[in-house]
Parts: sequence; structure tokens; C-alpha cells
Amino acid sequence: MLRLPEFTLTRPESLDAALALLKEHGDAALPIAGGTDLVPNMKHGLFEPKMVVSLADVPELHGVEETADGGLRIGAMTTLASLAVHESVQRYPVLAQAASLIAGPQLREVGTLGGNVMLDTRCQWYNQTYFWRKALGYCLKKDGTECHVVKGGKKCVAAASNDTAPALMSLGAVLELAGPEGAREVTIDEFYVADGIVNRDVRQGELLVAVRIPAPAAGHRSAYGKLRTRGSIDFPLLGVACSFDLDAAGVIANADLVVTALQARPTRARKAIALLEGADTSGEGFEAVIAAVAAAARKQCHPLPNIPGDHEYRREMVPVYVTRTLRAALDEGGPVHHI
Amino acid sequence: MKPDPARYVHGTDAPWDEFQVVGKPHRKVDGLAKATGEAVYADDIQLPGMLHAKTLRSPHPHARIRSVDTARAEALEGVHAVITGADLPTKYGVIPWTPDENALATDLVRFIGDEVAAVAAVDEDTANRALELIDVDYELLHAYLEPEESLERHDPAIHPDNKKGNISKHVELSFGEVDEALERAEAGELTLIEDDYTFHGTTHAPIEPHCAVARYSPDGLLTLWSSTQITHYVHRTLSAVLGLDPAKIRVVQPCLGGAFGGKSDPFSLEFCVALLAMRTGRPVKMLWTREEVFYAHRGRHPMKMHYKTAADAEGRVHAVDAKILIDGGSYSSFGLVTTYYSGQLLTGPYDFPAYRFDSTRVFTNKPPCGPKRGHGSVQPRFAFEVQLDEVAEAVGVDPIEIRRKNFQGEETETVNGQRITSNGFLECLARVEEASGWRERRGKLERGRGLGVAGSMYISGTNYPVYPNDMPQAGIQLKVDRSGVVTIFTGGNDIGQGSNSMVAYLVAEELGMDVAHVRVVAADTDLCPVDLGAYSSRVTFMVGNAAIDAARKLRAQIVEAVAEAWEVEPARVRLVGGRAIDLSDSERSIPTREAFQIAEVRFDTLGSTGSYNTPTLGGDYRGGTIGASPAYSFTAHVVEAVVDEETGRITVENCWIAHDCGRAINPMLVAGQMEGSAYMGIAEALMEEQEVNRFGLHRGPSLLDYTIPTSFDTPELHALIVESVDPEGPYGAKEAGEGPLHPSIPAISNAVYDAVGVRLRHLPFTPGRVLKELRAARESRAGESP
Amino acid sequence: MQNLRLNINGDSVEVGAPSHWTLCEVLRYRLGLTGTKQGCDKGDCGACTVLIDGRPVLSCIHLAALAEDKEVTTIEGLRPLHQAAGGEGCDPVQDSFDRCGALQCGFCQSGMILSAKALLDEVPVPTEEDARAALSGNLCRCTGYTQIFQAIERAACERAGLEPTKPAWAPESSEHEA
Ligand SMILES: Cc1cc2nc3c(=O)[nH]c(=O)nc-3n(C[C@H](O)[C@H](O)[C@H](O)COP(=O)(O)OP(=O)(O)OC[C@H]3O[C@@H](n4cnc5c(N)ncnc54)[C@H](O)[C@@H]3O)c2cc1C
Ligand code: SF4
Ligand code: FES
Ligand code: FES
Repeated sequence: MLRLPEFTLTRPESLDAALALLKEHGDAALPIAGGTDLVPNMKHGLFEPKMVVSLADVPELHGVEETADGGLRIGAMTTLASLAVHESVQRYPVLAQAASLIAGPQLREVGTLGGNVMLDTRCQWYNQTYFWRKALGYCLKKDGTECHVVKGGKKCVAAASNDTAPALMSLGAVLELAGPEGAREVTIDEFYVADGIVNRDVRQGELLVAVRIPAPAAGHRSAYGKLRTRGSIDFPLLGVACSFDLDAAGVIANADLVVTALQARPTRARKAIALLEGADTSGEGFEAVIAAVAAAARKQCHPLPNIPGDHEYRREMVPVYVTRTLRAALDEGGPVHHI
Repeated sequence: MKPDPARYVHGTDAPWDEFQVVGKPHRKVDGLAKATGEAVYADDIQLPGMLHAKTLRSPHPHARIRSVDTARAEALEGVHAVITGADLPTKYGVIPWTPDENALATDLVRFIGDEVAAVAAVDEDTANRALELIDVDYELLHAYLEPEESLERHDPAIHPDNKKGNISKHVELSFGEVDEALERAEAGELTLIEDDYTFHGTTHAPIEPHCAVARYSPDGLLTLWSSTQITHYVHRTLSAVLGLDPAKIRVVQPCLGGAFGGKSDPFSLEFCVALLAMRTGRPVKMLWTREEVFYAHRGRHPMKMHYKTAADAEGRVHAVDAKILIDGGSYSSFGLVTTYYSGQLLTGPYDFPAYRFDSTRVFTNKPPCGPKRGHGSVQPRFAFEVQLDEVAEAVGVDPIEIRRKNFQGEETETVNGQRITSNGFLECLARVEEASGWRERRGKLERGRGLGVAGSMYISGTNYPVYPNDMPQAGIQLKVDRSGVVTIFTGGNDIGQGSNSMVAYLVAEELGMDVAHVRVVAADTDLCPVDLGAYSSRVTFMVGNAAIDAARKLRAQIVEAVAEAWEVEPARVRLVGGRAIDLSDSERSIPTREAFQIAEVRFDTLGSTGSYNTPTLGGDYRGGTIGASPAYSFTAHVVEAVVDEETGRITVENCWIAHDCGRAINPMLVAGQMEGSAYMGIAEALMEEQEVNRFGLHRGPSLLDYTIPTSFDTPELHALIVESVDPEGPYGAKEAGEGPLHPSIPAISNAVYDAVGVRLRHLPFTPGRVLKELRAARESRAGESP
Repeated sequence: MQNLRLNINGDSVEVGAPSHWTLCEVLRYRLGLTGTKQGCDKGDCGACTVLIDGRPVLSCIHLAALAEDKEVTTIEGLRPLHQAAGGEGCDPVQDSFDRCGALQCGFCQSGMILSAKALLDEVPVPTEEDARAALSGNLCRCTGYTQIFQAIERAACERAGLEPTKPAWAPESSEHEA
């Protein structure tokens, strides 16, 4: 069987206790939520902690509640399965849909939102066994010096592959973090950085406590689109989160469009968003707007041959999935998924 | 010489008026054991003091081993033995003519993942640590990753002993006047369709990874439990490689978690655990990781195929001419047979007056290819059935009609000299035509949706064993208990297809018993008579006949003894419904148990043996026996596919599978084989690919990256059973486990053509490729119109 | 090495295992509950599915220690639990899989049956779409899933007193009865 490194497992029962353990053991410790990403990665020798700190019994990380301002605060330990069906989450279709399409059903029972936000980036040269990576001579992200995706590249461009990240970005989510230096908040936008080695602005010993999403506007519309080979299990080959508010006259405001599984950070399709902003969905010209939005997204989005499969095909799918996801949001449908 | 006709053919009728067991959906003999987790698979075996073994594998696609130093590994606490190629120098291969494998590399490593050394230690963690301590000095050699390059050069050679450079096998056979037909086509008298077709590599991916456990008893007996589908060949090969008397070896196949041809070679782990158990005096287990299963491979050979078909204006085929380049990967495995099969198995269900094929298998530095469900014939079938659709279009004949027109008929001989007996292909066509609504729908559906048809033929067992001998191909022993239980001892390998259940149904039928009173002991070389293994779809046909043979002999004894006891004519005694009854006296009947006891008094301890051997068959030319089978199964599929022209994604919504299995001994299990076959074919067409990257590393040796379909990705599968009742099959049965894979792939291509007017000739049909083809078609249309 | 207290199939058991062992390993190689299978060992195939508090979970990527204080049900537990609840023989889901031919090599089936069980406990009469969704994390390489869907439908129909659909291969006249 694939072996895990030998480690000690601890189960702190409060946030403070968890933070203290992480502080005490520094680099040698890693938090584990559902373990659905960390365990396979450890089995591939990608992480070799001496201590694994379970967050299962940390009460501060659990629970979903509506906030005073009508928004939502989701504890990091909320499972993906419960997130997908939680009543309050249905107000944010893009998030419920993204969660419902992650991996397969058993995995969603234990995989958490926190673990998903904190997911390691993925690459065909990296998510492989120890033997395989050693035969390759490793790569820049772990144990090696070369990038096999970008020849001569000095920077890892492994793909952000977490489905909830673009959804949360499109909803303007804020992350509540707690660390040895105390608590801090950061918008999820600032949190993700364009570095495939660690694409999160997370500090030593820090934990994600909860994710806060502002209240949806009355005319909030959103949807998620996911390209993958199979109808289940697979990570995204492309993920598109689309969110906007629609006024009574059918005019779009606060539009957002975030595309993922391209490079290390989910990409906000700025030009496309600008075209959407203020567009009249009831008007004659809206078809042309959609086409322009799709074209602008395609121009900006450059999938790299980081994850398996044909990256040129992924690029071709950008406008198709952007168009379909946009339409789904407008029709209060979705998710956009081939099944 | 073996006797001319098949040994023991029993007729196709029910033993008594009508079938009691056969033809009905019964539970499997091991169904509940599997459903409750009781069934024992290889990795479920835990023996006291058992050590765990791991394999050191080559990180290079092609290299010479200058030296291997195991001293540091041996010194590690918890390590009990380390072995290398020097410990197992004898070469072997499942085909005795091409022994080119070593359990552990002796001089060359030939692909990334090739086995170099093995360690037995107290646990897997320790064994893994020891692997890191083995020092191997490699001299890197040029790696061949493309088959064309292997054709062109062979310095350095992948197998330096091979006299043909990097060519593993070349077969060229010609039947009838091929050139004449091609000339007529040239002259415009016949229509000629000529094109290239590509079949990619795919693998079996059984859910159970390979595992073997060995124990070396103090009396010098070696027992090997292995997840193999060829117990007997493993037995022979172990004996040869270990230099052990075969009488000192016992090979047992526990419950097997899927194989599909992927467990039909002797594998490195079997030799390694055996030798490690002998060296350490302790039981040793080796369980491969999923990654290692991808390296073991033996999957579908990639083929580049060029086909020409000449046909007349009615669509009748006059000649077929094929040239095929086969990428064999690093070893021979079954490659000799694959090369023949790539040509030999195409000559049905259609009549080819003239046929030629020229197939070359080359070695490359990739995981070795071998037999995957539909061995050697799925690829040419794909090419030909697509080409036949092209012919149909060119001459303006409906695709089902053209297949009818070219039907070869029953009781006939193929152009390459194979005997065809029963042949239910026309009924297969009729069934799928009707069930799919072909006449009303084909060519008339909305753009993007289409129907496609394809047909095929496959063997029910190979006529000849892999090593020449005149002993039976299959044997059965029956043992009778006074409790009323009959135990069947069979060498047959149940790999999930249900062969253990099949023999139980047949014996219960013959003896008029309840299936629940029949036990099966299988695939244990100490306990069971030899069967050659679960390959080439031979088990139902051959082991089934052997089972009837044995049961019929036993039945005669029981009937005779009961008749004597009742003082009546034997013809009045019938075994039925778990009783012996007197046909002329409805008052007189006894339970089978009593009948057994009466017979035991009369004949002493009861038991019987049965066997089956094939008739002498095959064409009278070199290679003419390869592809010869005592019977052939026939299949037709219609696939309904939807093409999303924006994403290029093909969705198969429905697959109607009509398969002539001769007679369905248990229709539920036959349907399961048909559905499983079609599923597997559709999967390899749409989403599977076994490939190496530019470094020679397997692209993604995992069940995440090698995408096999989930429940969402599988179409509605409609199994339509056709029963042609074969004269020599057990009650008329033929195979059902491989044939129904073949047509699914070309049928998809043909359905896509109906849907969007694009011919897909190159597999796999990934969305990206479909988009390219659609674009090319649009461009060529735009180019044509002024 | 640590001592774990696990609740398995209704029993509270204490077992020593290293903390880096998964639930799959502890079940199979410490407790001898080998009905739980391993096909990929990293979350890709579903063969190792067990129920934790009634929900299907992948035991190969679940640390054994994290299953403490939970109710673990493995394939070996279904029949005894069914009998303890006054039933006879196997759990109806197991029985239905056998009667519908859904068990070919059987290697995916303990995971498959447990996923099916969780579905049937939640949805009385699932549609085929429900079944496809519920089983979409359990790969089967043998059956093409068709007879598995039929097994689920049959188990549900029998419980609800409904007539299951006849499979395409079943002859019109004959009763589809195994
Ligand atoms: C076969 C398979 C398919 C998958 N498919 C998808 C997919 O389609 N889409 C997708 O998005 N993901 C997918 N995943 C990845 C993963 O399962 C999910 O992303 C899941 O949400 C991870 O959550 P977890 O709780 O299991 O994380 P864990 O594995 O426990 O943790 C993941 C990482 O986050 C860290 N972490 C966890 N919680 C916190 C916290 N509160 N604070 C700080 N750090 C934390 C851990 O240290 C670890 O580094 C798949 C995984 C597998 C095995
Ligand atoms: S992009 Fe891939 S290959 Fe390049 S450094 Fe990152 S993980 Fe390694
Ligand atoms: S063995 Fe756990 S998912 Fe495959
Ligand atoms: S029955 Fe063999 S994998 Fe499902």
C-alpha cells in the first residue's frame, strides 16, 4: 500500500490549544481537517509532518450561521456535503453548486470548506508518487530545481484546483484567520497569490477559522461551471464562477467572473467583467455582450499544461463555459456540468 | 496426434425434456460471500509470521545495469532478504516460444517501472526504506518511445538476443486474389475505400491490484496464492524459473477482483514472493500499489492501421487489405498471438473473398502490452467497421443492410480457413435494428444526435494450448457426498465472470439437483484437475463441456443403481428437482441423497471425471491454427450518441448490445458480461488512455488520472441475448465475456458520423480531437463551396 | 503505537495501531475485517468505502484515530445488524445485489453496497438518477453499473411493495427471479 510518514496525531479541543500545538511544533506540524487532500499528498511523499493536528474537535471551527448584516459565516470545518445542501448556502448558488461538484460523494462527507480553501495547487509533475517524482528528478515545487511546465521557468505555475475558491472570490468572501500573532481577516482575493508552491498568503501556524460572505443583494444571481472528464471524482480542468446582481429592469451590477484551474491563482476576468457591468440583459444587444464577454475571458485566460490533459482544449473551453455559466446564472440554473 | 473431433461433445438438448436450471437467472455460488465481505481475495490472506515484500523498479526507460549493491539494504534492521536478477536468471514468457522476461532484471531495464530487486521485511515501511538503500549503477541507453523508430533502428536493441532487431513479430498472410480486386478497383470497377486508423493504448484497471502470497513449508512444498487468471501456467513457469519440481509447488487462485486479461501472464511478484519465502522460511506477501499495476500493464496494444476495402456497387466486399504497426512495449508477453490475432480474427461475420494482412509488432521502452478483453482483435475491428460504414456510404447502402449483405452464413469456412459453426449474427442485427428504432431514426435525428452500428466476431477459446500437448484443455472432477452434496473440482479460474457458478449450474442440471447442493472448489493445482485458464473466452465452452461430461457419467451410475434397486428399466428413472423419480409410478420417488447412497452401495465411493479437448481445426498454413476456435460468438451493437458541437464531448446515451452466446446458461450473468464489455469498450473509446510522457514516464498511473467511467458516465446498456445454439458448446453455449466489447467502439464513430457528419478514425475520441475534426470538416466544406 | 477505541459494527473494540495508519489498514490488517477493500489507496476508487455514522466515507484516506467516538459500519456488519434487528439472512441490499447479478468480481461491491445502503436509508425509493449520484464515487470495472442500478431498484421496490422494471435481457414470459 501507499505509506504515510510516521507522525503523531493530536486532537486539541479548542482553537487556542490547536494554535499552541502548531506554534510549538512549527514546520513539523500540519493541521488536518477532512484529510482528503492532505492524506493522499502525504502518501505521495509531498508532506512529511512529524505531527498532525486534527481540527475535528475544535468547536470554534464548526457551524454555519447567518450574520447580523444578513451575510453568512461558515466554519472552516463545515463539510462539503453539508455546505452543498445547507439552506442558507442556497442563497449563493455559485457556492452550493461548486461544493456539490467537488470530487465524489464519500469525499464530500468528510472534506471541508476550510480544507478546500487551503487546498494545495496541482500539477501532473507533482501529484505523483515518490517513485515517479524521483524517476523524473523532481521539480521546482518539491525537492527539485526545474519546472517541467514552463521550460526554464523560475516560478511554479501549478494550478489552483479548489472549486470553492473562485466561487468565494466571486462572492467577495472574507477569511477569518487565527495565528500565533492573533486573529486577522483578509479578503479571499488578497489571500490567493500567483505562486504555485504555496498560493495562499498563510503564515506559519495560522488556521482558517471561518469564511464570511456578505449578504446577497435582492437580485443576486450566480452559478458555477466545471469542466472535467468524468461526471464525478475529477478535479476541475476548468472552473468558472459567475456572480452579479440583476435589478428590476434586468440590468447587471456588481458583476464578477472568476476562472480557475488555469494557473496558480484563480483568475478574475477583468475585461469580461467590465463588459458585463451595466449590461441590459433584456435588451437586443445582450447576445453580443455575452459573445464579447466570452471573447474577453478567452483572451485573458491561459491554461498551462500543468494539470493533465490537453491545455489547448481547456483554453478553447473558456469562452464556452463562461457563456454557459453566465446564462445559467441569469436563468437561475446551473451548475454547468456535462452531466 | 490428438483425436480429430472434439473430445466429448454432448449435444445441445436438455438432459431431461426441458431445462431445470439452465436458461434461468440464478444466484452465483459465491454471490453472498462477496456481498457480505466473506470472500477471501489474495490480500485478505494473513499468515502467521508473514513478511511483506516490495519491488525496486527502474527509474529509467532503457538502461544497462552495471551493478546492484544490496549490502546496505540487507543490513537494515527488519529486513529478512533481498533478491536481484542474479537470483532468478531463467527467462520466461507466457508464450513458450518467446521467453524474454526475467522476474528481476539481469542486465537491461526496458521501461520505467521494470523490476530490479525485491526486499522482504517485517512490514511495508521497512521494506520501502530498504529499497532506498539498494544502490544500482545504470548506464543509460537510448529509449524508444515511438514504434516507428523501433522499425527503423535497433542499436541499441531492446532485446539484444532477438534476431529481428526491435521487431517482436511480423506476420504477413494473404488469402484469395487481393491484388486482382484492388486492380479492379483501380480500374473503377469496384469502389475502394482506403484510410488510416489509430487505436491508442488502454489498460484493464481491475479494481483489485495484483497480490501474491507464498509459503514454503518445512517439507519443501511451496504454496503460492496469487491473483492470477492462469493458475496452471503460473505453476509451470514457477517450476521452470525456480528450478523446482512441479510436484513441490501448489498454486491457488483465491477470489479474484477483476482481471480482463491483465492477470494472464506470470508476473514478477509471483516469483519474488516464492523465492523470498524459500530464502526466509517465512510466508511472504507482495501487494502491488495501483501505480505498479499500471506498470505491469499487458493492456491493449496501440495500433496504427491502414485499411483498403474493395466493394461492388451493391456493397459486397471483394477484398480487404490491411497493414498494421503494433506497439508492443518492452516485452513479448502474448505478442506473438496478438500479431496473428490482429489479422486472423477479422474474417467474420462477413465473407471476404480475398484478404491480406501485414502486421508488425515492435518493441518500445514502455510498459509491456498484452491481452486485454478482445485480445488483438478490438483494434482491427474498429478500423474495419468504420471502413465498412464508409463503404456503405460510398455505395449508398444502409449500414445495417451492408452488414447483412456480407454475412458469411452458418456452417461455413472463412477465407483464412477457420471453421464457422453456429452464427446468430443476422438475428443480432435484427434485434438491435428493432430495439434502437433504426429504420425510423437513423439519419433522421436532429443534428448532433446519431445512431451507429457495428458487428463483430470472437473466439470461444483457442483451439490450441500455449504449449503443445495432447492432454485435455479442461478437466473436471466430481465428488459425491452421502449428504446429497456434489463437489466440483475445477481448474477453471473464476475471475468474476462466474465460471464457478456456471459449472455448478451444469452439474445441477445433469443431476437434477438444487444448485445450492453443489459446491465448487476451483483453481487450486493440488486439488483440481488442470484447466488452462481464463483467457481467450475459453472457460464456458471448454470447462462447461468437461463438467457435462463428468456429470453425465455420474448420472448414468446413479440412474443405473436406482433402477436396479427399484427393479425397473433405467429409462424410467429420472433425476429432477432434487429427487429420483420413477416416470411410470408417481408414487415412487426418493431424494437425491438417497439415490446417491444407493449408488454408493452399488458402485462403491462415487465420483467421476470429465474433460474436453478441441477438434483439429485451423487453416493449413503456418499460423493457420492461431485464431482457430471450436466456436465463434457474434455481436452487433447500435449506439446512440449525442455530440455537443461546442465542447466536442460525445455522450453515448444508449447502447443496444445483441450478442449470440449460443445458449445463455444463466441469462443474468450473460447480460452482465455483455453490459460490462460494452461499458469497457465505450470507456476506452471516450476517456481512457495509457500513455507515457516525453521522459517515458507513465502519464498518470492512478485511478484519478487514468479515468475509468463512474456511474454517471455509463450509458443505458440494453443487453439483448441471441441464442444460436452451437452444436459443440455445452448445451449449445458460447462465449459472452469478450465479444460484446468489440462493436461498441466503431459503433460510436459511426453514430458520430450520423450525428454530425464527421468520421472519427483516430482514437481516443476526446472532446479536443472531436472539436478539431469538426473544425476541419467545417473548413473543408467552406473550401468546397465557392 | 497507540491504543484506539473504535465502535465497529456495534462493538466497542480496542486496537493498537500506529497513528499514521488509516482506517482501511486498521480494519483489514489489525481487526481482520478484510471485507473492506483497497483499490487505489488514495481516494480515487471507492472500494474502501465504510459507513461512519451512517454516511459513506473513504477509509483509505481516513486516519483511523479520527474515527474514534464514531459508529463505523463495514460490510461485515450489515448481516449481523439486520439479524439483530429481527431480520433473516443478509441485509436486503446484499441479497438484492446477489439476485440481480450485480456481483461480478465483487471487489468494488462492499463499498458499492455500503453506498447503496446509505442511499436507501435516506431515500425510500430512489430514482436511477439518485442511484447514479450516490454511487458516483464507487468505481466498478466489471458490471457497467447496470445490474447494480437494478439491484438498488429491486431492493427499494421490494421494501415499498412496488414492481421493479424488467431488465432488457429478461424474456417476456419468464419471471425474473433468482
Ligand atoms: C479523488 C479526489 C478528487 C478530488 N476532487 C476535487 C475536486 O473536484 N475539487 C476540489 O476542489 N477538490 C477536490 N479534491 C480535494 C479535496 O478533497 C477537497 O478539496 C477537500 O475540500 C479538502 O478538504 P479537507 O478537509 O479534506 O482538507 P485536508 O486534506 O484536511 O486539508 C487540506 C490542506 O488544508 C490545510 N487545512 C485544512 N483545514 C485548515 C484550516 N482550517 N486552517 C488552515 N489549514 C487548513 C491542511 O493542512 C492541508 O494542507 C479531491 C480529492 C481527491 C482525493
Ligand atoms: S508547475 Fe508543475 S512542474 Fe512546474 S514547478 Fe510547479 S509543480 Fe513543478
Ligand atoms: S481504496 Fe480508498 S478510494 Fe480507492
Ligand atoms: S464487480 Fe468487479 S469491480 Fe465491480
